[in-house]
Amino acid sequence: MWLPLLGLLLGIVLGFMTDFQIPAAYENYLSIAVLAALDTLFGGIRAQLQQVYDDKVFVSGFFFNIALAAALAFLGVHLGVDLYLAAIFAFGVRLFQNIAVIRRILLSRFAEKNVSTK
Amino acid sequence: MNNKKTNRGKILLSLVSLTLGFILAFSYSLSQQRSAEQVDLITFNQTEEVREQLIQQKERNKELSEELQAVQTKIREYEQQAGSNTSSLEELVKTAEALRLLTGEVAVKGPGYKVELQDGEYDPNQVNPNDYIVHEGHVYMVINELKIAGAEAISVNGKRIHETSYIRCTGPVITVDGETFPAPFVIEAIGNPETLADAAELSGGILDQLRTEQIRIETQKLSELVMQSMHSGS
Repeated sequence: MWLPLLGLLLGIVLGFMTDFQIPAAYENYLSIAVLAALDTLFGGIRAQLQQVYDDKVFVSGFFFNIALAAALAFLGVHLGVDLYLAAIFAFGVRLFQNIAVIRRILLSRFAEKNVSTK
Repeated sequence: MNNKKTNRGKILLSLVSLTLGFILAFSYSLSQQRSAEQVDLITFNQTEEVREQLIQQKERNKELSEELQAVQTKIREYEQQAGSNTSSLEELVKTAEALRLLTGEVAVKGPGYKVELQDGEYDPNQVNPNDYIVHEGHVYMVINELKIAGAEAISVNGKRIHETSYIRCTGPVITVDGETFPAPFVIEAIGNPETLADAAELSGGILDQLRTEQIRIETQKLSELVMQSMHSGS
């Protein structure tokens, strides 16, 4: 359990220590990457709760989604079309859906527990 | 077998959380930087705006002082016309003219006397610089002495001194009517050069006193000295 947490801390420290500038035009990639990462994370949590979690799917999804989103934003910048909006939209909707599913599962578990203790 | 699998899963999960942490922290610090830059931009724009206003105000001031000078020239013309009409008024016009010289409202030309006060030479590491620099009090003393000796018009570094003038100490420089001047301070006075020089050079008098306070003094009698009106310049 402590290993992923350690990795998270290390990543945060590295992120704060990294001190290079990226041009304003490429900031979109970063925001997309953040969204993709969050989406995959919540997707993983949902899968875990639904007992369909598979680490291969999770890890490949994590990196593939980030790369895909960045590529889409890159393409959008060069075509002059705000394609990153599509990524933001897709990931945003999925993020909300995942969180909603997680909430339902947790709620139903909580309700079951209450019934059983009564 | 199962244990191995969960181990691998943990390592992969660590990798994922490392990447996540990195991305989150990096974009956070980046957005902080951006907002800081924006704040810089805003203050820069404000400074620019205020500077613009200041420039406009200064231009307006200049215009107004030019207008004032023009109006005063006109008034003098009218008076002279009136004076040439009636002989009794002629005296009054002359008096007005003389008084204007004293109050600094018009430019003056005539023989005069010049005193230049320069900071004494010193090593700031060894002595107190306050004992060696020209203070506003010294300038006062010279001005008062010259006035007593009959100076009709006085200026400090080209700035005409009039009845509401003020001289203020502002650190190593002095402010005369809102304008700052560094040393050396050139005090010019229009009047009889001999009288003014004698009064200043009186043994035990003002210049002797300043010399004992480590101030370097240069004096000069001038056969012709031109002094601006108090309204000219900024």
